Amino acid sequence: MQDAARPRTKIEVCNLTKRFGELLVLDDISFSVAEGEFVAIVGPTGCGKTTFLNALSCLLPASGGQILIDGTPANPKRHNISYVFQEPTCLPWRTVRENVAYGMEVKGRPQKEIDERLDHILDLVGLTQCANLYPNQISASMQQRIAVSRAFAVDPDLLLMDEPYGQLDVKLRFYLEDELVNLWRKLQSTVLFITHNIEEAVYVSERILVLSNKPTRIKAEVRVDLPRPRDFMDPEFVRIREHVTDLIRWW
Amino acid sequence: MTAYREVVVRTPLALKILPILSVATFFIAWEIVVRTGVVPDTMLAAPTTVTQLLFDKFTNIDPDGALLYEHAWVSIQEAFCGYFLALAVGLPLGLAMGWFNVAEGLARPIFEIIRPIPPVAWIPLTIFWFGIGLPGKIFIIWLGGLVPCVINAYVGVKMTNPTLIQMARTYGASDWQIFKQLCIPSALPMVFGALQIALACCWTNLVAAELLAADAGLGFMITMGRRLAMPEMVVLGMFMVGLTGAFIGVIIDRVEKRLLAGIRR
Repeated sequence: MQDAARPRTKIEVCNLTKRFGELLVLDDISFSVAEGEFVAIVGPTGCGKTTFLNALSCLLPASGGQILIDGTPANPKRHNISYVFQEPTCLPWRTVRENVAYGMEVKGRPQKEIDERLDHILDLVGLTQCANLYPNQISASMQQRIAVSRAFAVDPDLLLMDEPYGQLDVKLRFYLEDELVNLWRKLQSTVLFITHNIEEAVYVSERILVLSNKPTRIKAEVRVDLPRPRDFMDPEFVRIREHVTDLIRWW
Repeated sequence: MTAYREVVVRTPLALKILPILSVATFFIAWEIVVRTGVVPDTMLAAPTTVTQLLFDKFTNIDPDGALLYEHAWVSIQEAFCGYFLALAVGLPLGLAMGWFNVAEGLARPIFEIIRPIPPVAWIPLTIFWFGIGLPGKIFIIWLGGLVPCVINAYVGVKMTNPTLIQMARTYGASDWQIFKQLCIPSALPMVFGALQIALACCWTNLVAAELLAADAGLGFMITMGRRLAMPEMVVLGMFMVGLTGAFIGVIIDRVEKRLLAGIRR
């Protein structure tokens, strides 16, 4: 009965393996993500988190196993995959608005749909005022917000985020995390969020996958069933955070 | 909204006045050096003598056979034909070489063989092929302008931020889309650099080509000045070459600033 109420599986990763020559980086990773779920992936530094995302986004061909989106092998040309990189990836010759539109343009969406969606998204993230500025006229954090907006704008089947807020200060990070959660709830995308910041993972996600050291496997899975907006001083929040920290510790 | 207001940056006073001062000092010193006989007037002409000849050449075709503007017009025609042909061939070739392996594999070896040969070395062959008329000189100028166009466009594409390419790939962009939407805009600053460099190369080779084989043009005027032992004509020719080149450079700079508003500031 409980299973019937759960949303259907969106992403299925089966026995994903990646090796660079002799070096085994991803070791037989399997997991699935439900439609509209927000999953965070944490792990020790250098455990292959970025390799993991690159394999998921098909930027790197996997050495073995496969990634299924809606039951078919993942393909950036067929599926809507979005990737928010660690560093800002704005096109300097496009305005904020044109940057957010970029993903939709690549996908060949009709101009009318692009315009409507742009108005909606820019309004959601509060970028309407600076829609016509160029990236070098705005701050680095705003550039990252553009990348996030662009990623959500294509209505992604799978949204991958690689420590997008790693370089920001704590206050701004909480603000942008709230914004991210807000976008996710409004647009109902499936999100895989990679971070090494455990507090951040507990703050934003519904489920946390803890990765092991290289060769990387999924060491544990932690559900985060906390109401939103979350309070990082809440005892239950602290308990989950410490639990995940213990799982990551390998020394 | 006030946070995003544009800021007006003023040019410092020193950068407004000093250039004028430096140019004025240069010409006055030059005049004095020639007038006082420190440098004899058979070796160098004073600015005033050159200016006199300048006005004289507006109406007098002697002794070199053409008015000043006719020489300049011949040179400009040659230079621009060669220059635009170099742009038309060099830029697409360089851009394609930077992104498409087929283009790089085919064109790079030939380009690397031809590149180190100075365009002036082609002059004898060119005279065999085209004679001393317009097509031969355009060919030399074209060769000179081609090299910087290809190199700059190629390097410009190679410098495209790899993360941007990855970003486009995750959205499912095709090779052609990435080339058109990312590589070409990324290469634009280098391409505009090429416009300036290629122009300088064309202009230099123009004079070289005219010194050796011509019957009109600014380079020809300089040669005539030497043959007739008229340093003022040599200087006037040199000066016109510089002035015309600088004028075209300013125009290109204007165009560049307007087009690259988003990239450079």
